[in-house]
Amino acid sequence: MAVEMKLPPVLEIIRGNIVKHGNPLALKGSEISSWAKALNLPARGEMLFYTGGEYQLLPFIDSLVKTMTYVDQGSKGFSLMMGARNLLNKAGISAEKMYASVLAKDKDRYNAVSYKAAVILQKLGYDLCYGGEQELYSGALLYELGYWQDLQEYAPRVANVIKQSGAKTIVCLSPHAAEVFKFIYPKILGDFKYEVKTFVELVWEQRHKLPAASFNKPVVIHDSCRLARELNIEQELRDILSSVGAEIREPECKGKWTTCCGGPSKLLFPEVSHTIAGRRVAELEQTEAEVILTACPYCLSALEGAQEKGSQTGIEDLIEFLYRGVK
Amino acid sequence: MMKIDLQKEFNDYTQNLNKASKDQHINTAITRAVKAYRSTVAESLERFPHTPEMAAEVREIKTQAMANNSELLAQAMASVERNKGKAFYARDRQQALEIAAGIIGTGKTVVKGKSMLGEELHLREYLEEKGNEVWETDLGEFILQLKKDRPMHILSPAIHVPREQVAEIFSKFFNKDVPPEIAEEVGVVREFLREKYFSAHVGISGANVVAADTGAMVIIENEGNVRLASGAPPVHIVMVGIEKIVPTFQEAMKTAEVTWRYAQYGVPGYVNIVSGPSKTGDIEKVTTYGAHGPKEFYVIFVDNGRSEMAKDEKFSQALHCLRCGGCMYECPVFQVTAGHFGHTYLSGIGAVWTAFVSGGLEKAAPLVYTCLRCGRCMERCPMQINVPAMIGELRNRIVNGAAQGEEPLPQVAHS
Repeated sequence: MAVEMKLPPVLEIIRGNIVKHGNPLALKGSEISSWAKALNLPARGEMLFYTGGEYQLLPFIDSLVKTMTYVDQGSKGFSLMMGARNLLNKAGISAEKMYASVLAKDKDRYNAVSYKAAVILQKLGYDLCYGGEQELYSGALLYELGYWQDLQEYAPRVANVIKQSGAKTIVCLSPHAAEVFKFIYPKILGDFKYEVKTFVELVWEQRHKLPAASFNKPVVIHDSCRLARELNIEQELRDILSSVGAEIREPECKGKWTTCCGGPSKLLFPEVSHTIAGRRVAELEQTEAEVILTACPYCLSALEGAQEKGSQTGIEDLIEFLYRGVK
Repeated sequence: MMKIDLQKEFNDYTQNLNKASKDQHINTAITRAVKAYRSTVAESLERFPHTPEMAAEVREIKTQAMANNSELLAQAMASVERNKGKAFYARDRQQALEIAAGIIGTGKTVVKGKSMLGEELHLREYLEEKGNEVWETDLGEFILQLKKDRPMHILSPAIHVPREQVAEIFSKFFNKDVPPEIAEEVGVVREFLREKYFSAHVGISGANVVAADTGAMVIIENEGNVRLASGAPPVHIVMVGIEKIVPTFQEAMKTAEVTWRYAQYGVPGYVNIVSGPSKTGDIEKVTTYGAHGPKEFYVIFVDNGRSEMAKDEKFSQALHCLRCGGCMYECPVFQVTAGHFGHTYLSGIGAVWTAFVSGGLEKAAPLVYTCLRCGRCMERCPMQINVPAMIGELRNRIVNGAAQGEEPLPQVAHS
């Protein structure tokens, strides 16, 4: 029996944005690539620097969730879905309107993550090229949310842009992109034969070149699920931090036993997601480290969003942490 | 094409989930439970270091057993009959309930052990409708029976009810002042149920493992309620899912040991092995049934979607689940919502089971989208069940309505 199920509109919005605009939140290519202006990275080369727009969209996720919650007048419980539906019915999704409230300093901070990552890799001797405005989001969320047929149509478009770079290696900032390029794309596309690496792996390979950290207070690593369990990258993070002389504290749940930041349920179940993230932050803060480090955009966003106001512990991406020593 | 709008399912479910995540009872109880689970399991794995290796052996036993399930089912049924019990196969829920009701009839008193299959079938409610008095004998289930609530964990069903609330419920039910002291609370139930065991016409239990060669039902417990419920009444009915069958008695023992170790029991108080009715040959070597235990012994093997699941290569592994409950303690969503992340079967693996045996994709959909696909459960699972991959596949089926057998994308995550 063929049964068509209608899912909460927020999922449809994300899907539609990816398919239509090449980005889950329908951000413009010019906005996503604005961080790269000063670097003049070539469009072609051996090693493709791939952001997928993921760090860049972080400041807008909360805005999306908040807007949807605000629009709905009814119970907060299902506000997200109803809100999205109202938005769709009224005006479609207007990225400009919805995202107007995002603070410039947040935008700047997350845009700068991609910049910092590129600079670190250059300092370690890697020659990077970048797709700029042409770069498309990997489609990891299409895979994650079950839109596999859409992914089959979408992946060739992404692959085409990547192909134009002439690169042999793709460097992913987000473990979600790395996962989908490494494990899913080769199965969908016959000729997707790239070496897929994460930022963390590349830094690890050249970690002897890293300057000592200017920060000498203890740090704690929040292993991202994808990085630790799918991509098998956990010791590398510790090696990198040791090599810059950072003091590492370990939480109860780490490596393969890491605990999820709650990020994946942020769109459908923002309250539960927030609670889960808050518990993880508390667990990490118990180590009394000064800074919580992670290497995944969604972990970064989820943990930061759930931290108690007034907490003294910093939350940073590994990229931001390493850049302090490099710049 | 049939269209189902999942909006309402999602809405009701989300409200409930949000409420649960702010419930202090749940928060306190689960935080305590997770801590205890982790330390007990770590301690008993240290004490019995052969366990992970044995778990690997059981994974192989289960894989083979599911591949030969129909043969093993026939063998197990024959073994039960040979032991002078009666064996039944129930294709679905309705059949299972009718067989049970056919044995029990009406106007009877029934004492029941804890069983997830019982929850799946809504067994107690059905038997009550048929005019029977049915008592849950597991303490947690007994509390929930009085509270008219549903289990929030498969092993500790009343995990979300603190002692103060138990005292309130008991004081009302027993019509006397029961103080919020755990020992007293346990005591009043012991006294109340003791009389029921010996006046009951029928005892019902599940089984953790079934050995096909001997027809042995292996039932793990700590309270001793199953020992009484399956031993005192003149009739014992076992209701068990067909996926619990393994070929041999020795393999059943290994499966049982792995189950209880990951279920935080270390060493369980009791392991019941029941293969047939009670019998004696003490007078003139004439075998006579119904000595001290039940004279009649029935086993109802329940399918209810399991063989469909077994045929689907992307999901057959879910049938290896031992129901140790370890994954739930480690699930970040379960840790803040308890069984509200579930529909009879709980958490990620529960979403998979819901889709096949307890409500279908429609009921499973909100659960399927609640799972974080973080993979933590798989790290804990002694059977290494790839729940994240199954959740991905279920989402794909929800979105694209892919018929079974179609292959839009391979399962690659958590490879």
